[in-house]
Amino acid sequence: MKLIESSLIKEKAYIEKLENGLTVIIIPKNNTNKKYIIWGTHFGSIDNKFIVPDTGEEVSIPDGVAHFLEHKMFEQQNGTNSLDTLMALGLDANAYTTNDHTAYLFECTDNFYEGLDELMDYVQNPYFTDQNVEKEKNIIAQEIKMYDDDPAWQLYMRTMECLYKENPVKIDIAGTVESISKITPDVLYKCYNTFYHPSNMVLTVCGDFNPENLLEEIKKRLVKKESAGEIKRLYPEKENKINKEMSEKKMGVSTPIFMIGYQDSELQSKDIVKKHIAIEILLNMLLGESSDLYKELYDNGILLAKPDLEYEFSQTYAHILISGQSKDPKTIYSKLKEKVNEYKNSGLNDEHFERIKKKIYGDYVTEYNSVANIARMFMADKFKGINSFDYIEEFKTVNKKYVQEVLNSVFKDERMVISIVY
Amino acid sequence: MKYIKKDLKEGIKLHLINTNKFKTNLFAIYLAVPLEKETATSNALLTAVLKRGTANLQSQELISKKLEEMYGASSDFGVDKNGDMQVIKFYLETINEQFLPEKENLNVKAIDLLLDFVFNPLIENDCFKKEYVDSERNNLKQIIEAKKDNKIRYSLDRCIEEMYKGKPYGNYKYGCIEDLEKIDEKSLYDQYKKVIAEAKIDIFCSGENINVEENIINRLNNINGRKVNVVVDNELDSKEVKNIEEKMQVSQGKLVIGLKIDSNLENHKFISSVYNAILGGGANSKLFQNVREKEGLAYSAGSNFVRVKDSIFIRCGIEIDKYNKALETIKEQLEDIKNGNFTEEDMNSAKKLITSSMKSIAEEQDTEITYYYGQDLSGEYNSLEEYIEKINKVTRNEVVELSKNIKINTIYFLRD
Repeated sequence: MKLIESSLIKEKAYIEKLENGLTVIIIPKNNTNKKYIIWGTHFGSIDNKFIVPDTGEEVSIPDGVAHFLEHKMFEQQNGTNSLDTLMALGLDANAYTTNDHTAYLFECTDNFYEGLDELMDYVQNPYFTDQNVEKEKNIIAQEIKMYDDDPAWQLYMRTMECLYKENPVKIDIAGTVESISKITPDVLYKCYNTFYHPSNMVLTVCGDFNPENLLEEIKKRLVKKESAGEIKRLYPEKENKINKEMSEKKMGVSTPIFMIGYQDSELQSKDIVKKHIAIEILLNMLLGESSDLYKELYDNGILLAKPDLEYEFSQTYAHILISGQSKDPKTIYSKLKEKVNEYKNSGLNDEHFERIKKKIYGDYVTEYNSVANIARMFMADKFKGINSFDYIEEFKTVNKKYVQEVLNSVFKDERMVISIVY
Repeated sequence: MKYIKKDLKEGIKLHLINTNKFKTNLFAIYLAVPLEKETATSNALLTAVLKRGTANLQSQELISKKLEEMYGASSDFGVDKNGDMQVIKFYLETINEQFLPEKENLNVKAIDLLLDFVFNPLIENDCFKKEYVDSERNNLKQIIEAKKDNKIRYSLDRCIEEMYKGKPYGNYKYGCIEDLEKIDEKSLYDQYKKVIAEAKIDIFCSGENINVEENIINRLNNINGRKVNVVVDNELDSKEVKNIEEKMQVSQGKLVIGLKIDSNLENHKFISSVYNAILGGGANSKLFQNVREKEGLAYSAGSNFVRVKDSIFIRCGIEIDKYNKALETIKEQLEDIKNGNFTEEDMNSAKKLITSSMKSIAEEQDTEITYYYGQDLSGEYNSLEEYIEKINKVTRNEVVELSKNIKINTIYFLRD
């Protein structure tokens, strides 16, 4: 197995690409009782158009298939539900679907191998029938309705609507009641066979393990599959301007919630980790707790707490998201715009820059406190082609000049949007 | 892991948790006072004002700069309700020094700063700074108002309020808006002095090679010992079931049922915990399997056990017109346990659920601190191993025996 490590934080990871194409990442941690395993496929809600590798057939699928598939994976031919089976073993099991991947996981202190049996069995053995697919449509319709009532989710969806005209990231992960009505066992099997091929999957484990032994245990449980070619995903052209600047919706929350977005014109570049670090430094310099702007907004009662600051990116979209609660989101929007331009014109303050850099370093180190966090991070980063340790190791190479360049190229007034839920 | 508890003075304890599981060290100070309607709001406001400035760092900006300088150390202040006590909690988390790119003594800086927040606040003319009190009063008002935003949380809070009406536990941990308006910078400072003089004080250090005991002891020189009063008022007079219905704009009804346990059985808290897990602990519980899976009456169905209050709260999100059917199904589950209609497998999966969560406690720094604190506050002490052993010893007969002394006290329903 290939070994990668970070000397600064004293952690190691072992990586192996198996013959059938599956990537296995094992991060041993011998001082913990908790074990966490996550098995993901690089298939999310944005993958709604693709070319099947062995037939060359171009396929368009209804919105919400990745999420629907996730729901259906638990159901077994013998009538049992794998989620119940895992829970009865005392394991904390779950699954989720995002824009760019779907993952199945559990966390435990005991019964790891019993759990591994079940996890690897159900993820490799789909069972879809007309009847069980129909039944699921009602359950997912309930879930979609629940999200319709969720102000935070509506806020996010509306921000995507502002940022993009065509990009599939603006489609709800669960789809719509209408789109899921078109899903059939045939669609599910086609997607399963394409995207749940080992070569499109990453399995990550963190906990007290001997990596070689664990790898053997995983191999033993793998179903043999022919190797497959690369999946070609068909995404719309990169968008060069935002769809609309503002969205407002009334939902009856006690204090409005807002999300400000910056569309990033440059998609995944070579030095994505460095760029990501630079953006996090900038966001904290602009709106972090010691910033002038945060102080002003807090003192005026416009912000009650530091907003959430995030950079989301994949092969097809990249954007900054700033979100929080405020009685006056529009003031935050205009003041932020002013502040960005001030930083562009007058340059970044040295002392402030160095201080925030230290803070971001501390944040990265803290990520390594939990096995769940570590495993999830390594898997999600792998789908983006990133080795997670790079955030710690490349840190020292990020200087003020580079960060200033990122500020100028990413934070553009005309790429800025705001969505508000009242 | 090694856990040591020391009495520094009467009513003041130092808890040292030596663990190598984390990249961080966590420091915490807890101040516990009886939860009373008259002071709950002041104490909540106090917590917020203390985070705004110390005598040494007089503004939030200076504090934030200091924290960022310490590799993004993070502070967190809040109030909690622990049984009939209101607990004011102050935390500071820093990176363990061995993971820093350059050597630096962060532990001493961290504990000094945390002690400053609690014992050396910014005072002007025998008052807190007016500007800070005013702005935090507004913030707290918004927090109290936002109580209604999360309907699931809100219905639980309301059920507790109704069940424990007029009792300490019936108070909201943040207090109430009417009382908020009456507090000014002078009265708040008076309340602060009272809390510092009377509260049960617990100081926690969790991490590896921390060595700040000396610093703590020196800083407490001018703080006196105190007689600590831990209130436990678990008597409920209501003989009849209270039915409460409230209307709000919701698409899903929220049903919360408060159960009271009256038992003299030895180890009844451990039996109650197993009982609760069988009833509504997880996906294999009676509530989840019957209310959700079998009858399809709810998206969520479960229960939680409040150990200090000998109470269990059943919570379901249901379709509003299925109220009667849901209530009936829930009552059937309670009867079922009384009649011994549960399997050995139910017992085992309940115990597994509890013990696996017990085994996870030491894997999160704040959870571990909370566990030891809860033990200390209740005057009992069980190591994690002892706790697990006591859970595993619970028998089927004990669960049936206990269930005969569990009664529905309050039924709360939030609907449109």
